[in-house]
Amino acid sequence: MNKTRRITTSRWWNNKNLWFLLIFLFLIVFVRFSKSLIYRDIYYFFSKPFWPGQFQKELLLDSYDKELNVKLKQLEKDNLRLRSLLNLKKTRDDLIIDSSVISRNTGSWWRKIILNKGSRNGVTIGDAVVGPGGLIGLIDDISIFTSSVKLLTSSESQVGAWVQRVNIHGLIVGVGNDSPKMIFYSKDIDIKVGDLIFSSPASTLLPPNIPIGIIESIDQDSRPTTTVNIQLLANPQAIDWVQILKSKI
Amino acid sequence: MNFSLIKNNFSLLSFLLIPLLSLWNPIWFSVMGVQPYWPIFWLLPWSNLNGPINGLIIGFIIGIILDSINNDIYTQVPGLLICGFWFGKLGTLKYRYQYGLLASFGSLICGLIYFLQLILNNYQKNPDWLFSFGLKNIFGQILLTGLFAPVLSISLYKFFSSNLKKNRF
Repeated sequence: MNKTRRITTSRWWNNKNLWFLLIFLFLIVFVRFSKSLIYRDIYYFFSKPFWPGQFQKELLLDSYDKELNVKLKQLEKDNLRLRSLLNLKKTRDDLIIDSSVISRNTGSWWRKIILNKGSRNGVTIGDAVVGPGGLIGLIDDISIFTSSVKLLTSSESQVGAWVQRVNIHGLIVGVGNDSPKMIFYSKDIDIKVGDLIFSSPASTLLPPNIPIGIIESIDQDSRPTTTVNIQLLANPQAIDWVQILKSKI
Repeated sequence: MNFSLIKNNFSLLSFLLIPLLSLWNPIWFSVMGVQPYWPIFWLLPWSNLNGPINGLIIGFIIGIILDSINNDIYTQVPGLLICGFWFGKLGTLKYRYQYGLLASFGSLICGLIYFLQLILNNYQKNPDWLFSFGLKNIFGQILLTGLFAPVLSISLYKFFSSNLKKNRF
C-alpha cells in the first residue's frame, strides 16, 4: 500500500514571514551590539566628498602654529629670565656672525681652525662656534681680522654637556682624535649608544642646548666614572662656513 | 723683470714661507690628517751651510714664531734648538738619502719632545687616551718629512749655497 507523504504548510519553518522577522531581529541585535560599526563605515565613504577641505586644514594648522609660537616665546622669556637670575650664558639672536674657514688644522698636534672674522667684527674669546650639525669649538684667540677656534677634538678642550634624554650632565674632553670622550661622574646611569648630547644648560662657557654629538660607544671598564666615545655631529674637516654665536652673561 | 732682489734674499723669503705653510696646511701633503713637519725642510739645509751656532739661533727663532702661531701651552723651541745645532754640526751631506734620514730623525726628536710635554700636562686626566693620537702624529710626521726632504731640502740647499757664494763675492 502506497502511503503518500503529507505536505502541509502548518510547520513554523515553512513560514516565510517568520523567517523575515527572525532575520530582522538578528540584524537589529547585531546593529545594537556592533555599536553601529557598519553605519559609521558606510557614513565614512558617503561623507568623504563633503569633508573640511585643504583650506580649512591650513587655517587650523596656521592657528595651531600661532598658538605654539606664542607658547614658545613665553617659554623663551621665562628661560631668559631664569638664566639671568642664575647668571648663566645666553645667546643673542642679533649677534650671530657668519664666517668662513681660512685655515684648517684638524689632524695634527694642533686641532684648530682659523676664521676670517676678528675683533673688528665683534668676535670675543670664548664665543661658541657652530657648523652644520652642531657645535665645533670655542674661540680661543683673536686678532683684528681673524679668530682661532679650539676644536672639541683638541686635547686641550673641555666643555660641559648633557644627555637630554636622561638629564645627566658630564664633561666632553678632547683626546686628539676625531672622537672626543665624555666623562660622567657616576657609574650607574641609563645612557645608551645613540643618545644625543647637547651643550649643558648649566654651563658658564656655552649657550645652552646646542647639539654636539651622539654616543658612539660606552667604555664598560672605566671606573669610577663612566666614559663614552662621542661621534660629533659637525665635521670640522669638511666645513667651510661656520657661525659664531655671540654670548653674554 | 729684475729677480735679483728675490735671488739675493732667497733665504729670508723662504724663511717667511715656514709660518705661512704651517697656517695653510695643504691637505694634499697629508696622510690621515697629519702634515710633514715643515720647519725641518728649511732648517736642515740652512744649518748645514751656516754651522751649529747659527742653526741653534735660527731654530730658536722658528720655534718662537711657530709657538706664537699655535698659541698653546706647549713649545716647539727645544726640539728645533736641538735640530738646528745638530744639523749645523753635521756640515755638508754627501748623499740624497741622508737628507731624508736626518729630516726623519729631526721630526722624531721634535715630535717626541712635544708629545712628552702633552703627556706630562695631561697625566692627571688620562694619558692612555693620548697615546694612539701621539704615536699616529709622530710616525705620520716622520714618514712624510723623510719622504719630501730629499726633494725639498736638497733644492733649498742648492739655492742657499749659490746665494751664499754670491753674497761672499
